[in-house]
Amino acid sequence: MIRTLRLLYSGETPVDYPKWWKRTILISALLLVASVSSFFVRGLNLGIDFEGGTSYEVKAPGISVAEAREVLSSIGLEEARIQLVDEEVLRIRSDISDPSRTSEIRDYLNIELGQVETFEQVGPTWGSEVTNKAVRALIVFFATVAVYITVRLEWKMALGALAAVSHDILISIGIYSIFQLEITPATIIAFLTIMGYSLYDTIVVYDKVREIVGRLGATDRYKYIELMNLALNRVTMRSINTSITSAIPVLSLLLIGSLLLGATTLQEFSVALLVGIVIGSYSSLFIASFLVSLLKTREPRWREINEKISRKENENGSTRNVDLKDAVQIDSKPVERTSGPAKRKPTQVHRPGGGVPPRPRKKRRK
Amino acid sequence: MQRRQTLFFIGILLVTLVLVVLTTLWGNKPLLGLDLQGGVSVRLTAVEPADDEMLDQAVEIIRARVDGLGVAEPEISRTEQGVMVSLPGVDDQARALELVGTTAELRFRPVCDTLPPLIGEAEPTPSSGESNLVPASCLSVSNGDVIPATGVDGLTPPEEDKAENFVILTDERTTDVFSERRLLLGPSILTGDGLSGADADFVDFEWGISVTMKDGEQGIDAFNAIASECFSSSIFCPAQAGSVRGQIALVLDSQVITAPVINAPAFEKDSILISGAYEKQQAEDVALALRYGALPVELVAENTQLVSATIGEDSLEAGLTAGIIGLAIVALFILFYYRLLGLIALTSLAISGSLLWAIISHLGTQSGLALTLAGITGIIVAIGVSVDSNVVYFEHLKEDIRDGRTARSAVDRAFKPAFSTIVKANTASLIGAGLLWWLTVGAVRGFALYLGLATILDLVATYFFMGPAIKLFSKTKTFANKPERFGLPSVGALLGDEQ
Repeated sequence: MIRTLRLLYSGETPVDYPKWWKRTILISALLLVASVSSFFVRGLNLGIDFEGGTSYEVKAPGISVAEAREVLSSIGLEEARIQLVDEEVLRIRSDISDPSRTSEIRDYLNIELGQVETFEQVGPTWGSEVTNKAVRALIVFFATVAVYITVRLEWKMALGALAAVSHDILISIGIYSIFQLEITPATIIAFLTIMGYSLYDTIVVYDKVREIVGRLGATDRYKYIELMNLALNRVTMRSINTSITSAIPVLSLLLIGSLLLGATTLQEFSVALLVGIVIGSYSSLFIASFLVSLLKTREPRWREINEKISRKENENGSTRNVDLKDAVQIDSKPVERTSGPAKRKPTQVHRPGGGVPPRPRKKRRK
Repeated sequence: MQRRQTLFFIGILLVTLVLVVLTTLWGNKPLLGLDLQGGVSVRLTAVEPADDEMLDQAVEIIRARVDGLGVAEPEISRTEQGVMVSLPGVDDQARALELVGTTAELRFRPVCDTLPPLIGEAEPTPSSGESNLVPASCLSVSNGDVIPATGVDGLTPPEEDKAENFVILTDERTTDVFSERRLLLGPSILTGDGLSGADADFVDFEWGISVTMKDGEQGIDAFNAIASECFSSSIFCPAQAGSVRGQIALVLDSQVITAPVINAPAFEKDSILISGAYEKQQAEDVALALRYGALPVELVAENTQLVSATIGEDSLEAGLTAGIIGLAIVALFILFYYRLLGLIALTSLAISGSLLWAIISHLGTQSGLALTLAGITGIIVAIGVSVDSNVVYFEHLKEDIRDGRTARSAVDRAFKPAFSTIVKANTASLIGAGLLWWLTVGAVRGFALYLGLATILDLVATYFFMGPAIKLFSKTKTFANKPERFGLPSVGALLGDEQ
């Protein structure tokens, strides 16, 4: 592990992403199936904001919100929303609307907390109109982003990015469905945040792929999948650092905030965010890139290169490595390129584990 | 080139400092949402029995009314016989009532007569007589068959302001337009249900309101029927002083919002324009009142109450503590990994954070932007993305140095491709923020604003601070001689490491 990180730090390519893809695709497929089937079988545990429920107003002077929460926890209402109204009335809202259960709760509150003054059904604060508009906005957003990525990168990457984002959102929602965690407006916002983060992360990775393929692809000496692997390795350290810095505050909220200091209300969305950050970074490296290399390898040009290289490999019986020195920035001015790589130091690189000495660079240009 | 970098560097530091000082001086503070600090809740009860559908509709209208910008995040839900509205950060209960309002329907009434402002007090008169013509003729008032009810102020009191009555009303919203004259108005010929939209519009170098009607009997047809009477200034809608045409008054809550002169015998349903030297703000207010005026049921405010935060102070403190610890760990990690570059990254983060704080405080004070738990969530993730802008650049630098460049020449060329990556990725976030802002309501809209702001500020801090700062540092001797202090590899050291 340490060795791998050290190699990554020094820019080598210790991670064989294509090999990992085979496993991660399987894992992702299983997670997706589990998420989607749980969504249809178990559904989601929607909170009072979406479904409405019952509101009780209890006259209970001197009882704090924390004490009230304790009383409610003993009858399984730890998710109830408790507010102090005008200092002496407790407004308790829960998503339970079954009449026999609610009157049971009312009787319980009468005994344990104080006189229940009002007791009524309430509708959702997050109305269907809010949801409908958000769904419509998301569809427009997906379409627009697809066009945007197509223009800035290419359509195959747009497809990969959207697939990766959908993958992340579906699994995040799936986890909420499997563990029946309560969905609140804060959770929805967390899902949207995940979506933004995942897309951002995927584009950063794709941009590195585009850069590497642009620099080395013209040599015709590497398979697309090899270039992709190099690009992913070069972006791995960034991905690790960024997910660490994004995840630490959330992790701290989850561990210190809700477990150590007992702020359970923070739990719901920190779980969503943590899962989202981890999956968002994972999917850029393992799902989005896999899909693009799958699509790109089918292009006639890359297929030709693939065949040519495979033929050679069979003849020589040797394995190949991407020569890192090829990844040196080619200066943007073409004049300099023909005059030779002036700025490059002629350092010989010895690759650990590689038995093949670096090949002399061909000065071929396409 | 270097002069420009220095300019940016000093400029952004100055701007940040000035904004932070101004925010503190003005006493601007972020407006915390209902979940974080509580507010006032108003219970509204329907006057007549209403079904869920009508109440849901009322919820949407009230949402639009109390949250014009869409970022105050009120909590509005239907109850068994009414609607419950909670507003964040409002501690004045009267102000809450004013915001929520309990408006009845918007009515279109022909103007029968313009009366002078009342001086002193008048004897209250009850209403008497009825007109059985439809539409009612204004003559029935002028010849004394019908007398509208009036109170001591010479105006029809709100409880007598019924659709079928003649009324005397005045306008309080735009006093300069009507200068407190009283208008004698005929019975209502159309309600707000016939309206499908109203927007402030800039036409012929002045602000007006363009109004769109619905099709059919309860819409444009009814409007055109009375419009043709007003145009020909018949007894149903006589000409008023200073014009040869009649006027139609739009009345909401016993107040005339506007009473435009009718200048055409008939209108297309989407080409009605109320013009008349409005201020931009006035035009927008009028459009808003027209659009959201009509509630499907009449609601009265039952009581207003102060409510505490839904999350609870204990959770809030725990969250804050956890957040600070988390940030401290992030800071340590960045410093450990990137050394002096890490220090630049943290300063860059502090700059975008301060700017965000100044903007949120300003919007919170001015436009009711509420900072909820969800907003804070967005900001936490935005911190990660902001740090990433630095990480992308730093890793690019390292890569170039490993490829055999000196630290200085790497700085010269790595910023451009790194910044291009950041812009590409951030543009996608901005597209998302823009569309969500434009197309949604409620909490999602608040999120969009935070996402958009954080993304733009990230780009600003990266371009104006982080880039120039590293460029300036790269001129120092330490940078060239001891790049490892900046968390960068030196070429020789790196290769030796691996052998």
